[in-house]
Amino acid sequence: MRYLAPVDMEIIDRLSAGDPEKKKYYIRLFLDTLEPELDNLKAANVAAPQEPIRAILHKLKSQVQTIGAAETHALMAQQEQHIKEGGQIDQSQLDETCAQLSTLIENLQELLK
Amino acid sequence: MSKHLKVALVDDDIPNTEVLRDFLIRNGYSHVDKYHDGESFLESLDRFDERAVVLDFDLSGGGDLNGLEVLEAVKERSPSTHVIFFSGQDSLEVAVESLKNGADDYIVKSNAAFALVKTSLDKVYDIQVLKLNERRSQRISWIMAIGWMATIAGVALFFAGR
Repeated sequence: MRYLAPVDMEIIDRLSAGDPEKKKYYIRLFLDTLEPELDNLKAANVAAPQEPIRAILHKLKSQVQTIGAAETHALMAQQEQHIKEGGQIDQSQLDETCAQLSTLIENLQELLK
Repeated sequence: MSKHLKVALVDDDIPNTEVLRDFLIRNGYSHVDKYHDGESFLESLDRFDERAVVLDFDLSGGGDLNGLEVLEAVKERSPSTHVIFFSGQDSLEVAVESLKNGADDYIVKSNAAFALVKTSLDKVYDIQVLKLNERRSQRISWIMAIGWMATIAGVALFFAGR
C-alpha cells in the first residue's frame, strides 16, 4: 500500500523565498537527515524500550512539519506523545510511519529532478 | 533594515536551524550564529554577551545538556542575555520551568514558529534600542551637568578674582 505524504509546496517556496536553487538546497538538507533516520526507524525493535523510537520521532516531526508534510507530522507527534506517556507503539504503527516517511522522501527526491 | 542584534541559534536539528538562520537573515538579522549542542554554545558565551539566544529544549542529538540546563548556565554566567525557548515540546511543565528560570519567551515549533521567533527577537531588539537610547541620554545629561558646573565654577572664579 502506498501512503499519502503530501508536501505543501507553498511552504517550501516560502521558506526558500522563491529561489529554486535554495529550494533544492533545503530539500537535500532535509533528505540528508530523513533518509538515515528512516533506516533507523525501520531497524527499530518495538519489543525493546521505545525511547530511541521516541527520540527519532521527536527529531523528525519538526523537520517534516517545516517542509509542509502535515499528515506525517501529525502521525509522528501522536506516536511520540503515546510513548512519552508510557505507551508502546506496535509494529503496524511503526510500519505506517515508515511508509509515510518513505513516500515523503520519494516526493522530495522527485522535486530534485 | 538591518538590525544590530546578534543572535545565537542552539538546536541539534541541523536542517531546521539552517532554514531558520536564512529566514532571520532575510528579515534583517545579519549576524546569526549556529550551535548544535549546548556545550559549544556555552564555550562561546562571555560575561557581557549581547546576543539573543534561541534555544531548543531537546538537544539530545547534540550533547549531554538539555535546554533548561543551558538556560540555567546562561543566566548564571551572563544574566542580561535574552533567551527565547524554541521547543518541539508542547509541554506546559517545560514552558513554566523555562520562564521561571529567566527565559523571555517560549515558542512551540510549528508552521508559524519562524515568524514567532522573529517577532520575539524584534521585541528583544526594541528593548536593546531603548536601553541604548537611555544610556545615551544619561551620558548626555552627565556631560551637560559637568559643562554647567564648569561654567558656573569659571564664572565664580572670574568674579572672585576681580
